[in-house]
Amino acid sequence: MMRVNGVEVEDTFAEAFRMWGCRVIITAKNQKWADTAAMEMTGFATSVIMCDCEAGIERRLGEDETPDGRPGTAVIVFAHSRKTLIEPLVRRIGQCVLTCPTTAVYNGILEEEADAMLDIGKRLRFFGDGYQVKMRLGDGWLRRRRFWRIPVMEGEFLIEEMLGAKKGVGGGNFIIMGVDEDSTLEAAERAVEAIHRVPGVITPFPGGLCRSGSKVGSRYPFLRASTNTPFCPAIKHTYPESQVPEGVNSIIEVVINGLDEAAVRKAMAVGIKAAVEVKGIKRITAVNFGGKLGRYQIYLRDCLGGEAG
Amino acid sequence: MELRLKPKISKLSIPLEAEVISPDVVAGKTLKEVEELRVYHGNRAETLGEYFEAEGEVASQTREQLIIVDGDVSWVKYIGAEMTAGKIIVRGDVGMHLGSRMKGGEIIVEGSAGDWVGAEMSGGLIRIKGDAGDLLGAAYRGSPEGMRGGCIVVEGSTGYETGTGMRRGLIVIGGDAAPFTGAHMNGGVIFILGRAAKRLGAQMRGNGSLIICLGEVEELLPTFVYDTIYTPTFMRIYLKTLSEKLGIKRAEEYIGRPFRRYRGDRAVGGDGEILVVERG
Repeated sequence: MMRVNGVEVEDTFAEAFRMWGCRVIITAKNQKWADTAAMEMTGFATSVIMCDCEAGIERRLGEDETPDGRPGTAVIVFAHSRKTLIEPLVRRIGQCVLTCPTTAVYNGILEEEADAMLDIGKRLRFFGDGYQVKMRLGDGWLRRRRFWRIPVMEGEFLIEEMLGAKKGVGGGNFIIMGVDEDSTLEAAERAVEAIHRVPGVITPFPGGLCRSGSKVGSRYPFLRASTNTPFCPAIKHTYPESQVPEGVNSIIEVVINGLDEAAVRKAMAVGIKAAVEVKGIKRITAVNFGGKLGRYQIYLRDCLGGEAG
Repeated sequence: MELRLKPKISKLSIPLEAEVISPDVVAGKTLKEVEELRVYHGNRAETLGEYFEAEGEVASQTREQLIIVDGDVSWVKYIGAEMTAGKIIVRGDVGMHLGSRMKGGEIIVEGSAGDWVGAEMSGGLIRIKGDAGDLLGAAYRGSPEGMRGGCIVVEGSTGYETGTGMRRGLIVIGGDAAPFTGAHMNGGVIFILGRAAKRLGAQMRGNGSLIICLGEVEELLPTFVYDTIYTPTFMRIYLKTLSEKLGIKRAEEYIGRPFRRYRGDRAVGGDGEILVVERG
């Protein structure tokens, strides 16, 4: 057990998985509408246990960072494979962004950095019912880009033909254990705030936080995931294999997906460092499955480097 | 590496055909070999050295080769024709067929250019600081497609039938565009910052053909159907590209401005577009 700012950090690892991620840049007339579309698009996308993908807002983009010079919001969507990433993107952009006033959608991962280019705009163009127009840019003199202009009642929806996707990491995590609900929530909020300054990561759960956690399976045959009983303080003395330390009465998990392992590591590090600043935090640990399921084992001590003491 | 070609004469009644003035041809040669390259004066084969004095350095790789044509060469045709890489700078006017069928690289003309600039080009960038003649970026007679890629920027005005049969690529006209600009277009984009003359986009078909008029339009053909006034998002991307990648800063003034959208040419069942900036 190591200590950071006096808080115990368990010598364990977060077990993470290979996921495919796609960064989508949404722009709109103003930040309000870019955020609105982004929030709609990333709704009900916390975990692939029950959702079709895991998605979240990466960050807001200034006018100087977007292709059309308008305010924007970057969203990252994750799924198990390249193939399973396509359908959620088509549905979510089609239902949540195309429908949202003034928005446009652009690729957020350059072709040379992507492992695959997904033809999302090319699929959505059919919504134009034959009146869609292909927009070409850069044939033979600039980076080649293709867009589709789809007429809609409000004006015109613009979407880039191909969106870049890459092999990323899902399920990076750490668990914050506190003496009460208030301190644990405050620490978790500070952690998420710090994590969102790291490029290339999202926290797909509500506000970035997962209060329930989950474990594989349940006592019910129809339920493949259930509450994380070893980490429920309310049953710490009645559940025989409880892992809740004495003095801990509230626990929150922060789950992080990233476009690469380094980004997830960095996000875990800054998140943990922010959390341990809060009075009342007793211990930090992480969720794993003994290393049997995930491709990545991200040790807390490695993330934190020489910060112990 | 910079190779300078200094014209030995200032005028020639019969133009010289010198497609050898191209980085693809000169790269890897010695200065003596460059001067021995074959050019045509009428039906006579002559050497480049009879008309130009070559000095400077020759690169081994095409992409590293810069050719500076140091003077008025309005009597020389086909400079940079079919070039694939490297750069040519002409310090004066230039003759017909400059950069025709060009595939890559860059040509800068500090004066004006003759007809057929960038005809049927498929890549690269041509920038004319003065005016350009007729049939810029056009299809040669009998050919179904004109410009197929690349970009031509003319800071001055252009002549008749600019972009005729254009298939892809971008033409930016800083000044006025003569009649029949964009005729038979079937793809590609033409920006006109000055005045657009009659017969604009005549017999234009579809495939994303687009003419954007930032100045006055003399008259649109009745076979172009007016749709709406709107402020399309895609226009911002083009205007930003003009400003940031091509240095046409005044394009930024039109970001966020409404445009009138016309579709045609209905005479041939076309669904190309002419967008005209709303004035006032």
